[in-house]
Amino acid sequence: MNKQIWLLPLLAITTLMWSEKVLAHASHVQYRQTQAVEIEASYDDGTPMANAQVIVYAPDDPATPWLKGTTDSEGKFIFVPDASIPGNWDVTVRQAGHGNIVNIPWGEENAASDTASGSSADAGYTPLQKVVMAAVGVWGFVGTALFFSRHKPQN
Amino acid sequence: MHIPDGFVPPSVSIAGYAITGGVTWYSLRQISRERNPQEKIPKASLLTAAFFVASLIHIPIPPTSIHLVLNGIMGAILGYYAFPAIAIGLFFQAALFQHGGLSTLGINAVVMGIPALLAYHLFQLRDPALRVLPHRFSTQQQKRWTKILAFGAGAGALGLSAIIFTVVIITNLSPDIDAQTERNAIYLSLIGYGIQAVLEGIFTVMLISFIEKVKPELLK
Repeated sequence: MNKQIWLLPLLAITTLMWSEKVLAHASHVQYRQTQAVEIEASYDDGTPMANAQVIVYAPDDPATPWLKGTTDSEGKFIFVPDASIPGNWDVTVRQAGHGNIVNIPWGEENAASDTASGSSADAGYTPLQKVVMAAVGVWGFVGTALFFSRHKPQN
Repeated sequence: MHIPDGFVPPSVSIAGYAITGGVTWYSLRQISRERNPQEKIPKASLLTAAFFVASLIHIPIPPTSIHLVLNGIMGAILGYYAFPAIAIGLFFQAALFQHGGLSTLGINAVVMGIPALLAYHLFQLRDPALRVLPHRFSTQQQKRWTKILAFGAGAGALGLSAIIFTVVIITNLSPDIDAQTERNAIYLSLIGYGIQAVLEGIFTVMLISFIEKVKPELLK
């Protein structure tokens, strides 16, 4: 019996400490909606560039990286540009010597809810356009071949 | 294996253009020494078309896919015509498909063109007059020797291109990126290039054997 009384203050202390701990765990979560930029990097055959290095350069200092990261397994990377720095944000994606640089215009007008999208130059073509361009190029080479292999007029 | 714009400092781009200019000049001088320099232009032009298109056709090899470069074949068949042909092909790839870049055109021509010229000299060794041990080969042996050299030309040119590409990229890593990660990724991609070299070698053997049967004068 005596022993149990002796234990009481200890119990009180632990309880106090415990409640204090709970207080310390109280957290505060705020949220606000903002606009982010999603990068999706893929090789020209369509396979995503997974785990590629991403470097973001802010418009006010294009020489030093503003943010570094890597793409996920689907070649995607999301970042939130600083709204106070309007201008063209440069994003470099590279892996094993392959990669590209994309230029993202970001400014006050983007603060509205419109969503802009763009891509590095080569992804802008549809497969059909690519085939036509390749065919035109090949025809140029074939034409050159035909020109130089024509029969010389006999005179 | 095409280095895009903005991946190497301007000094490297300029050096690439300088080397390409010098090698093009030397190649054109060798070409103009031929009896009829225009005679091989149709052949060169058609192979340039193949080179131009080859980079758009992807062959899936897990985990990624590759495309044939064909620089070994171009060297073996075209000789000194190969270098200007590759430079022209690269220009069109860069201009139309952003495959590579205009500022890196010179360095890309070095990466792919110089191995082509070396492949040409390697493939020339099939000429009995140039053989180190001048003993007579039977027709069968001569055919086998040609195949070995064709494989060496195709695989060697691609392997050398991959090595030059890797050296250029690794020595010019931007300080902003994580060099260790990038280096590991590059070393990993060398395995892919090794497989590709074997494929290019086999393809070169097939094409050379075919041409030898059908139109052997193309290899003269």
